Amino acid sequence: MPQPIADIYLPRQARVEQIVAENSQIATFVLAFCDRSYNDGFRYQPGQFMLVSMPHCGEAPISISSTATRPGNIHLSVRRAGKLTHAMHGLRVGDTLGLRGPYGRPFPMEQLAGRDLLFVAGGIGLAPLRAVVDTCLDQRDRFGALTVLYGSRTPSDIAFQGDLELWRKQGVDCRLTVDAAEPGWDGPVGLVTALLDDLAPELDKSTALICGPPLMFRAVLGKLAAMGFGDHQVLTTMERHMKCGVGICRHCHMDGKLACVDGPVFSLAELRKLKILELDG
Amino acid sequence: MVHAAAATHSHLLKKDHLKGFLRKLAKEYRLVAPVRNRHSDVLFTVIDDLDAAEIELTEPPQNSLKQFFLPQQERLYTYTTTAEGYDFQPVQATIPPTVYFGVHPCDLSAVLYMDVVFSRHQRDPFYLRRRQGSVLIGVNCNSPAPNCFCNATGSGPFLEMGSDLQLTDLGDRFLVEIGRAPGQALIERWQVFFSPSADKDRAAHYQTFLEARGRFSRQVHVEQAIRQLEADTVPEQVWTELSLRCQDCGGCAYLCPTCTCFTISDQQLDDAGGQRLRSWDACTFAGFTAMAGGHNPVQAKTGAIRQRFTHKLRDDVRQNGRPSCVGCGRCVGICFGGTDIVRFVERACQGSL
Repeated sequence: MPQPIADIYLPRQARVEQIVAENSQIATFVLAFCDRSYNDGFRYQPGQFMLVSMPHCGEAPISISSTATRPGNIHLSVRRAGKLTHAMHGLRVGDTLGLRGPYGRPFPMEQLAGRDLLFVAGGIGLAPLRAVVDTCLDQRDRFGALTVLYGSRTPSDIAFQGDLELWRKQGVDCRLTVDAAEPGWDGPVGLVTALLDDLAPELDKSTALICGPPLMFRAVLGKLAAMGFGDHQVLTTMERHMKCGVGICRHCHMDGKLACVDGPVFSLAELRKLKILELDG
Repeated sequence: MVHAAAATHSHLLKKDHLKGFLRKLAKEYRLVAPVRNRHSDVLFTVIDDLDAAEIELTEPPQNSLKQFFLPQQERLYTYTTTAEGYDFQPVQATIPPTVYFGVHPCDLSAVLYMDVVFSRHQRDPFYLRRRQGSVLIGVNCNSPAPNCFCNATGSGPFLEMGSDLQLTDLGDRFLVEIGRAPGQALIERWQVFFSPSADKDRAAHYQTFLEARGRFSRQVHVEQAIRQLEADTVPEQVWTELSLRCQDCGGCAYLCPTCTCFTISDQQLDDAGGQRLRSWDACTFAGFTAMAGGHNPVQAKTGAIRQRFTHKLRDDVRQNGRPSCVGCGRCVGICFGGTDIVRFVERACQGSL
């Protein structure tokens, strides 16, 4: 007799409980599955993503920006980019959307235990790293020093300001930079790589976690290598077009690997074996 | 070892008995076989009237079995978006148990490959519910067609495993080998149509195999291309040239029995809802990897062509030990840009043979 097969593509209904406007383009949606018992049992790990459904928009992969150490809600921080994310920005508290997941290989938190973590992000790239920072803060004794370098276009584009504030209070060394200053900004202006100049990480116990646009990504990789970071000490999470999320449809191909099941989290050592534009372009 | 396999489990089915056997099968199963239609095209077709159907077992059918397990477009769910919320409803579909009769070794190999694709990482319910309850009756190829090169991909002209029953045309009769338990059950159930095979039948089977092997008109050096891809020694110029000639029509992917890339999209039907669809896609399409906002992490043309051939000939060899090109030659016939897989293999191997 055929075994019943799980309906892996079926989205579950989730409700918007809160919306935090991070900047003019990014909002964090605080969500809970409408099925309370499913919501209570829902588990995920930092670095994993969800496939979001919006009416008539199909699905899009969005990384989870909350931590599983604070169960009850899933946070998705979303930048307006295409049709589905525009529709999400029209959501109000109480509205519902569809979710399936979690998918993907998470950040290797076991391997990161005891290490100093250097987070380098640009724009929306802080969203998946936020999940890691909060996981670390909820298990503070397990991890070493936490440093966040965050680049934004302008001071008014700086997202996650509430989080940055909270992190500072909990001892995270948060440093910000902008591409272009505005009146009232007295912080650094320039690439996020410049912030690396002021750091003296203990290389043997440090790991860098990077997420940001391709140009920033390549610049940061070059800088980290010059500082002495080995390829296995650099982790990132890759952005790809995805449809199935489960390793079948192949939209997220990366020279033989699939971002949805082999990633989205990769070490630089793993990426170096692949022919991908992020490294070659 | 074609000869030895034939010796262990084989029967004879006289050609006079074929229609009778199929008629019995058609009472209990939906029957799909290659049928020559009134335009003289051979296509795998659902047979409603066995007497009216001209089953063609030699000329390769233009389509493969892909569409029966992964339809070109299928409805996954319906959805409603109302004041109460936004929710999805499964689509109730009953898939009749189906006998696929007269399947050539290339197309059988393709189904076995799809079985892996749709169950390796996750079990795909839509594929598997079509596949479960299906019976595959293969027919070996005595006369490969001009574009065929399954001898170079390890998927023909004779198949030794994978089907439920495997037929070989011996003139006035078929030698029937039992591949799997459902095939055994069919023989036991309808044993009136079958008789034991003798040594001379098995000798004729082996002779037919040897002759078929000698009838390929193309020598396609697939193994050589696989080595080139693995060693990353395919000249950049080959990719550029092929990508310039690719017209982005997707014909190769649609006809290919192992191209299983798909997309998922919504179709709004009215104010209150619509349906979620899964449709065939092609990695050579310019938008296949483009993300929201337009950024494309894959070089639109050369990267896409590279993906097509590298996936089939390198990545799937790494994963499964064999290429996912089954040598059916369909892309050779459909591609008007001359960027089919045979052209790729030839270009990749030039100068290295």
